[in-house]
Amino acid sequence: MHELSIASGLVEKLLDFAEKNPAKKIVEVNLAVGELSHIESEQLRFCYEAITTETPLAGSRLEIEKIEALVKCPHCSYRGRPKYWDGALSGIPVATLECPSCGKTTEATDGQECAIRSLRFVEADPVVS
Amino acid sequence: MLEASPDEIYDIELEHSLLEANEKLAVENRALLDRHGITAIDFMGAIGSGKTTLITKMVGRLKDRIGVAVFNGDATTSSDADAISAQNVPVVQIATINGCHLDANVVGKGLKRIALEKLKLIFIENIGNLICPAEFPLGSKARVVVVSVTEGPWMVRKHPHMFLGAEIVVINKIDLAQVMEVSVEQLVSDVHKLKPNMKVIPTSTKTGAGLDEFEKALLAI
Repeated sequence: MHELSIASGLVEKLLDFAEKNPAKKIVEVNLAVGELSHIESEQLRFCYEAITTETPLAGSRLEIEKIEALVKCPHCSYRGRPKYWDGALSGIPVATLECPSCGKTTEATDGQECAIRSLRFVEADPVVS
Repeated sequence: MLEASPDEIYDIELEHSLLEANEKLAVENRALLDRHGITAIDFMGAIGSGKTTLITKMVGRLKDRIGVAVFNGDATTSSDADAISAQNVPVVQIATINGCHLDANVVGKGLKRIALEKLKLIFIENIGNLICPAEFPLGSKARVVVVSVTEGPWMVRKHPHMFLGAEIVVINKIDLAQVMEVSVEQLVSDVHKLKPNMKVIPTSTKTGAGLDEFEKALLAI
């Protein structure tokens, strides 16, 4: 389950941020996960919650934005969404590298990433009396 | 007295790739290999697909002509590494314990443990798993996916993503295709549906079918 390795990398990065910014409490983490990555959002969220309990990140929300796949064809200069294979087993169309325009092999340009986009945190104002 | 305002919410942009650390190490591994003129080839595939046997056969064919070493990823055992060691080539056993994939870091450590000077080819046998290894490049020049007919007729359709990043697909154990009632042609055409220019080689390590072609394809990388 590589989601655990990825969640660990994420949490390490966030704890590093939390340590450097002790007044800031992270409440939400926004991730971008590509359609062509092999990362399952629900498993990633589960791992995140499991390993953040008893850390300053406990209770923070993980928001995952799916990034669409894009391909470019070196043969016919097509750029855009990939061709999907509908007849594969699951009922979910599968992205392929076959060029929708000329049928040759394309290269993926987008949709492979897994990145932290932004953090949302709260900062308590000091009490003045 | 001045009351504290309620907690305010702030956002910060933080573009940070979670796969980048591994990718950076993979690039370093590749640079080290390139400096020594070594081609590394990553083998991926399910447990029991025949990765170790295929690698052992290729090592047997090549070791007298060129320097070959094998990195062997295995969750707990060293049985695969032991099998390949019998060929008297350098073998690095990488036990991932509970890890489901090799990463560039462990491969980089392995590269420090062997003498690279005399090597031309390193076969890296990944953990038997068709999902996780695809996300973690190791620094290899090409990736081979091994599927066997004994895994049933739908292996390619069940794990499409694994194939998109590979250069060669081996359909192994074709001597058993009839018994298994699995169509090799169907598996080949499924792969081509995902990636039209994929090199697909049906093999049997038992009869030797396809092994010449596989050897040629490896040397052409």
